[in-house]
Amino acid sequence: MFQSLRTRLTVLYAALFGLAMLLVALAVYGAITAAARRQVENELVAGGAVFDRLWTLQSDQLSDAASVLARDYGFREAAATSDQATIASALENLKGRLGLDVAFLVGMDGKVTGLAGADADMSRQLWEDLDGGAVSGVLQLKDQPYQAVSAPVLAPQALGWVVFAQRLDRAEMASLEELSSIPLKAAVAVKDHKGWTAPGLSRDDGEQLAAFTAAAMRAKTARPRNLSTREGATIALAKPLKAFGGENASALVLRYPLSLALGPYRLMLASVFIVGLAGMGMVIGGSFLLARSITKPVSALDDAARRLQAGERVTLQASTKDELGRLALSFNAMADGIADRERRITRMALTDQETGLPNRRAFEAAMAASEGRSVAVIGIDRYQELRNALGYRLAADVTREIGARLSAVWPEAGIARLSNERLGFVLDTLRSEAATELVLAALEEPLVLDGATVDVELTAGLAPIHSDEPIPAIERASIALDQARASGRKVAPFDAEAYGDPGSKLSLMSEMLTALHDGSMALHYQPKYSLMERRMTGAEALVRWRHPVRGTVPPDLFVELAEETGHIRELTRFTLQRIIADQMLLRAAGHDLRLSLNLSGRLVGDRAFVDEMVAQVREAGAKLCFEITETAVIGNKDAALVNIDVMRASGIAISIDDYGSGLSSLAYLKQLPADELKIDKAFILSLAESTRDALLVKSTIDLAHSLGLKVVAEGVETEKAMALLSTMGCDLAQGWHIAKALPLDKLVEFLAVSSQSERAPMARSA
Amino acid sequence: MRMALALAVLTLAPATAWAGDFTMTVRNKAGVPVQNAVVMVYPTAGAAPRITGPYVITQKDITFDPFVMIVPVGAEVKFPNKDKVRHHVYSFSAGNRFEIKLYGKDETRSVVFKAPGAAAIGCNIHDRMAAYVRVVDTPFAVKTGADGIAIVRGVPGGSAAVRVWHPYLRAPKNEVAATVVIPAQGAVGQAQSVEIRAPANTHQGH
Repeated sequence: MFQSLRTRLTVLYAALFGLAMLLVALAVYGAITAAARRQVENELVAGGAVFDRLWTLQSDQLSDAASVLARDYGFREAAATSDQATIASALENLKGRLGLDVAFLVGMDGKVTGLAGADADMSRQLWEDLDGGAVSGVLQLKDQPYQAVSAPVLAPQALGWVVFAQRLDRAEMASLEELSSIPLKAAVAVKDHKGWTAPGLSRDDGEQLAAFTAAAMRAKTARPRNLSTREGATIALAKPLKAFGGENASALVLRYPLSLALGPYRLMLASVFIVGLAGMGMVIGGSFLLARSITKPVSALDDAARRLQAGERVTLQASTKDELGRLALSFNAMADGIADRERRITRMALTDQETGLPNRRAFEAAMAASEGRSVAVIGIDRYQELRNALGYRLAADVTREIGARLSAVWPEAGIARLSNERLGFVLDTLRSEAATELVLAALEEPLVLDGATVDVELTAGLAPIHSDEPIPAIERASIALDQARASGRKVAPFDAEAYGDPGSKLSLMSEMLTALHDGSMALHYQPKYSLMERRMTGAEALVRWRHPVRGTVPPDLFVELAEETGHIRELTRFTLQRIIADQMLLRAAGHDLRLSLNLSGRLVGDRAFVDEMVAQVREAGAKLCFEITETAVIGNKDAALVNIDVMRASGIAISIDDYGSGLSSLAYLKQLPADELKIDKAFILSLAESTRDALLVKSTIDLAHSLGLKVVAEGVETEKAMALLSTMGCDLAQGWHIAKALPLDKLVEFLAVSSQSERAPMARSA
Repeated sequence: MRMALALAVLTLAPATAWAGDFTMTVRNKAGVPVQNAVVMVYPTAGAAPRITGPYVITQKDITFDPFVMIVPVGAEVKFPNKDKVRHHVYSFSAGNRFEIKLYGKDETRSVVFKAPGAAAIGCNIHDRMAAYVRVVDTPFAVKTGADGIAIVRGVPGGSAAVRVWHPYLRAPKNEVAATVVIPAQGAVGQAQSVEIRAPANTHQGH
């Protein structure tokens, strides 16, 4: 409700004014009420005084009339002689003449003449009142109040009393009311043995009046008092009236409703109210206008700040020269500053600091508008070496120079630096490969940096820009670049098939871990045949995974993946435990074979894992050979060599696997403390046909033997190859010609057969 | 004049043997002596009163004088008017009603009081004028003086009824009764307390 300053100011002023007006109105009302009340009170008191005079006047008149009658000689004679008829007629005569309500004679003997309905009680009461000296006052006859006076009848001794009385009825009260300047209401309340009553009034009114009179009489005050009635607050005055005799009290009650007294002031109160309302309207209008003049610029500032936050460019009009105007100017200065900084930051964010070329973020933005075209990622080959040779600064210069060249030949390509050695640009998909090759040729011109000539070779990957592809185009082009390098091509488009699906790779790993426990992963063993001893002396363990859905999963696929994802440890633990267990079984069957296990190059440097394996092998007393590729040692040579020593010390033989397929560095061969050298099957398969291979194998065997290594030939598939190897002095042969990789039970059968024959198997086993 | 009247009464008492004096003291409830109370003694051996006279009630200065007068039954009372104004003397008392209409200065009218009892006498012109004639049927009647004492002399000895009357005495017929034993010789005294009400009208005090 009070969210806006304008409303708050308006409400505040209006509330303050309203409060002030309320206080004024209350004060006026209070003063008026007090004045009206005072007026009514005075009027009531005056009314009471008037009534007193009226009462006296009437009393005197009655008294005079009674005295005249009491002294009438004939009347006295009639009274003295108890001439009832005469007395009654005289009284009746006077009643008619003077307009009296009641006129009667009470004799000294208590006899009452001229009062209709007077019984013994009433007569006695009257006599007692009169004998007690009652002269005037309120006389109650049959519960009706009368103003009564008495006059003794003397002849000259008292014969009795003449009593004249006027009923205090509504008409009598009305005549009294007419004498007042305000329309007050008069009534008479009387008290008998039952308490106060007000005859002649309605029941409710009478009871209320009687209760009021009783309270006022108890309070013994002659001041007007408050009386609450159904018509509202009333001011009333109870004035005790003199009783004619006896105990019966009576009172005159004058009443005047306060609302009537306030009547004349209503116009005044209404005027105050209307003036207050008009003033309130003006205050609300005025404060609204004032507040608006303040809040309008503030609102504009608020709005501008919001728009500035949303990134809009905002300029405020400084309409005034006051604080708000200065604030608007400051705001404008601030907005300009923010815009400047934002521009600078944006530029920095989209620029590669080393080369000044657009960066990857800028390139991605540009690509978003190039849907349907292709992206090319150019990589500088052997950048590591180049950087080591030239230093970081010059290496970056190489990248910048190539970018500059590309921009020069193809300004619209949108060249950008994606990483240290990679640049990207956009080109049309049609004939992109050929175009890229042309571009690369132009870029590979030798560079001259700091006076030195630098040769660079570049490779490029291509990928079409499709926003619905799961892998972004830049990544696909980068992968294509890797694929091109792997395949030795200059330019290659992205090969999705070769790359596979990373999502399925991850699930394959999780399935592999399951397979290690559910039995779908198993070990097969390919026997190794000793050409010297002419018997089976070992076997190489190979993992076989029969996937329940995919079928047989090639080891190349999941082993390499396990190496990349780190799951190779689990796989190797599984293999080691199984080999140890299987060797127990073979020993039990009477076959003492050294079992070989392919140890991933990534694990050779892992000391903790090596210790774990060594402990297991020792505990089991297993006779094992770990086959490792020589490349395994390249990554962390020192740690690998130490670990190999640890393994050999535990009786584990070390075999250099796939010798001849990789770098086959003689230096490594010298350093590696191996027991065995396994010549890659690529050389053995064509051994019989190629004299070059035969020479290489022969010299390798000789080299190994001279280094104290045994030699194993892999891929022995023919009798001829086996014969050749035997003549060359090769120690062990492994291959289909001897046996395929067999499950353990089949291996046991095969060993049994071959040991019985005691000769080299001449045929492939099933 | 009042004293003279009292002396006259005393001289009427027969000086016979076997008679005693009766002294009655009349006081009101406050113990104040009551004047003008008429003490009447009725001995067993009663005797008729004799009419002597003259009996005069004068009107002078718009006042009856005396205020209370004791007369025997059948006595004639004169009402001389010494005032310059006229008077209209009347009595409505039963048995003794009379009316002397508007007689002037130095006129004397007389009225014979035939009935025993009290006759209240007023003037129709002057309300405050009042007098009482106590018509008695016993020779032994005396009114009290300012000291409230009335001495009845020569009452025959023996038991006697006593009545005390006063115009303002608050009792039926404005009188109370008592008995007394009168000694054959000597005196006996008795006191009577009576309730006196305020006079109904202002007239000559007492």
